[in-house]
Amino acid sequence: MLLRTLLILALAAFVCACQGKVSRPACPEGKVCVHLGNVNDPVSLDPHKSTGTWEHRLLLDNLIGLTQDDAEGKPIPGVAERWETSPDGLTWTWYLREAYWSDGVPVTADDFVFSFRRILLPDTASPYASLLYFLKGAQAVSEGKAPKESLGVRALGPRVLEVKLEHPAPYFPELAKHQTMYPVPKHMVEKHGEAWAAPERYVSNGPFRVVSWKLGDHVKLVKNPRFWDAAKVCVDEVYYYPTNDTISAERQVKRGELDLNADIQSNRISFLRQDMPGYVQTHTYLGVAYLAFNNTVPAFRDRRVRQALSMAIDRDFIANKLLRGGQKPAFTFVPPGVAGYSGAKAPEWASWPFEKRQAEARRLLAQAGYGPDKPLKIEIKHRNSADPMLVMPAIQADWKQIGVDARLLQNEGQIAYAAYRARDFQVADAAWVADYNDAMSFLYLMQSATGEQNYGDYKNPRYDELLKQADNEPDAATRARYLAEAERIVLEDAAVAPTYFYVNKNLVSPKISGWKANLVDYHPTRYLCLKGHPKAALAAAG
Amino acid sequence: MSASILVPGSRKGADSMQAAAVKGRSLWDDARRRLLRNKMAVTGMVVLAILVVLAVVGPYLAPYAYDAVNKNDVWMGPGQNGHLLGTDSLGRDQLARLLMGLRVSLAIGLVATVVSLIIGVAWGAVAGFVGGRVDEAMMRFVDVLYSLPFIFFVILLMVTFGSNIILIFVAIGAVEWLTMSRIVRGQTLTLKHKEFVEAARAMGLGRGAIIARHIVPNLLGPVVVYVTLTIPAVILAESFLSFLGLGVQPPMASLGTLIANGAQDMELAPWLLVFPSLVMVVTLMSFNFIGDGLRDAIDPKDR
Repeated sequence: MLLRTLLILALAAFVCACQGKVSRPACPEGKVCVHLGNVNDPVSLDPHKSTGTWEHRLLLDNLIGLTQDDAEGKPIPGVAERWETSPDGLTWTWYLREAYWSDGVPVTADDFVFSFRRILLPDTASPYASLLYFLKGAQAVSEGKAPKESLGVRALGPRVLEVKLEHPAPYFPELAKHQTMYPVPKHMVEKHGEAWAAPERYVSNGPFRVVSWKLGDHVKLVKNPRFWDAAKVCVDEVYYYPTNDTISAERQVKRGELDLNADIQSNRISFLRQDMPGYVQTHTYLGVAYLAFNNTVPAFRDRRVRQALSMAIDRDFIANKLLRGGQKPAFTFVPPGVAGYSGAKAPEWASWPFEKRQAEARRLLAQAGYGPDKPLKIEIKHRNSADPMLVMPAIQADWKQIGVDARLLQNEGQIAYAAYRARDFQVADAAWVADYNDAMSFLYLMQSATGEQNYGDYKNPRYDELLKQADNEPDAATRARYLAEAERIVLEDAAVAPTYFYVNKNLVSPKISGWKANLVDYHPTRYLCLKGHPKAALAAAG
Repeated sequence: MSASILVPGSRKGADSMQAAAVKGRSLWDDARRRLLRNKMAVTGMVVLAILVVLAVVGPYLAPYAYDAVNKNDVWMGPGQNGHLLGTDSLGRDQLARLLMGLRVSLAIGLVATVVSLIIGVAWGAVAGFVGGRVDEAMMRFVDVLYSLPFIFFVILLMVTFGSNIILIFVAIGAVEWLTMSRIVRGQTLTLKHKEFVEAARAMGLGRGAIIARHIVPNLLGPVVVYVTLTIPAVILAESFLSFLGLGVQPPMASLGTLIANGAQDMELAPWLLVFPSLVMVVTLMSFNFIGDGLRDAIDPKDR
């Protein structure tokens, strides 16, 4: 018995040790190595196959598109040195700099043509393809109705790229730094197919290159000497860790085993500001946490059920008392502060006292045929990162109050999202972060053409029509009106239940320099360095 | 436990039968007396009785429901706003959750132990009594299961079949029976050559009947001791699983989930870690004292 107890305790200690004290790979003498907590493991290192913010963070260091992020997340020239727009805004000409892949092959306009076609092709099955539907002919190519050559993207020369658009897209330079528009090395993809993205043969055009990936342990990147600005890059080796357990990661940052972690459990922020002064970095973020209702589940085809569930969530409690990290209760889907958009009107019930909302929710459920004798039983699938672990039990309790019996199923982030894309859920806890600063970056999610990332399979012809009108509308104010009307429809329909607007929260060791809190929460490692290192100023200047 | 379970034929049983007329002391009377003289064991029993009563009736008496979110009472310290042991990050009353957690943990301990008892005793008794190739095969099977790391085996079950509370009962019980079966088998081997078994066989009793009527009742002593030691081991195992997020699912609580959540916020809300840990320690110690006391009481040679 004693032996058994000791064994269990030893095992417990061992498991805790795995999460706690970790051995870090030794840094070669004279080099700069940084250890970054990245929340989850990537699903893939192929920019056309991945969708998560944690994957984007990794890809940012490896690949650079026509434009790239500066330290504040604003677009600056990337592979393209400069660009021109035709007066009607439909033709963009990009002039590329002299750049090389990490294996020495030049980066050409052909690589971009190849990449834009590849992400759209049905064979690639990219979950993100519909983001590129603003390119001329993209939707037809993506749906397999037109040959890939019909896409309005062509190389006018090895270093001149012409892109034709379906409709004016002033946000193009911002979208051009997004992972969906990254070039992939044509010569490698043609030779190895999907396996080009395996870490042992990974080829990059950015400041770093993936060299190894141990699942559940870390992804290792080393500096790419062929990057055009390599002389300005301070860091030599980058390690990304899947820091699923936020509190354990926080302790690792405190002990100096991690240089930063890309998440903080919200209700600890004020404590950490005192406990670890100088570490906590928060910033407003264009992001929304929401619940998606799976429309393939019969119960959720009834609008009244979705409305009742959305109404019964106490968002003020969640944002202001539970998380208290600066999040705001969300009654609309598009976060406040999105450029050129004043937002849709929140549903009428948003201003009601909570008891009235609960009463109305019960009434709606009763109308839909659910009540004490036939309670609605559902499952909420959610991510096991810090904040969803706090919020989901609160929502479960809120729903219990209106007689709904909800079960919680927790998964690691990348696994949860894979299940959502496969429609393997009833209610999904998801979050969406702007890909570019525009309301469309949020609203396109519920479009029927979006496919996999429209988790709940919401389909509404009127909604699709409004978004299309907005796309083709040159006048910014009228466009915003179309978008606001579309958003109102989605909220009225309770296609999703927005819960709170994000803030981004990073725990950054004060010994790291060049890290700037920003609206998009992208922090390329090329700008980072150690404080006091001779290269710090050079790296930060980019 | 009355002496009538002991079968005539065993020397002690026979003695007690004869002595019954003059109101003598049976083996079990002796054991009870020795147990009651053991101060630690008696303390353990009293404390455990209190804990069991609390676990059974406590959740009905607590002023708050274990899963009720009190939206204005987030992270209250002990004693604030009528929350005797404070509240957690959702404003749930810790006293209510602790009582519920204790109930769940004790229930898992009990049910899993009963499962292990049934499988273990049946398996061990059959193996020991039948002997030969059957014994070899059955005990090698136990050896194979033994060689699987216990916790990882349970985790594997959880991952394959999804975690629900019934499965935890079954999974832990299905692993815990191994030691039980070995103890029972060893005991059976010594019993099966005893005269009363020979006599039963000579009278033409079948194997099944002999196991059920003569072997199993005489195994009781060591089995009872082992059971009292299995319960805390199971509680600990469940807590460990819950600590890893594989145990009971929210909003249900067990001592393990309470400690796991408490450990997360220990700098901010130490009461969330301290109270469940205390209850856990007290429960486990009571069981272990009772187990040790019983062992001393039932096995007279060991004094």
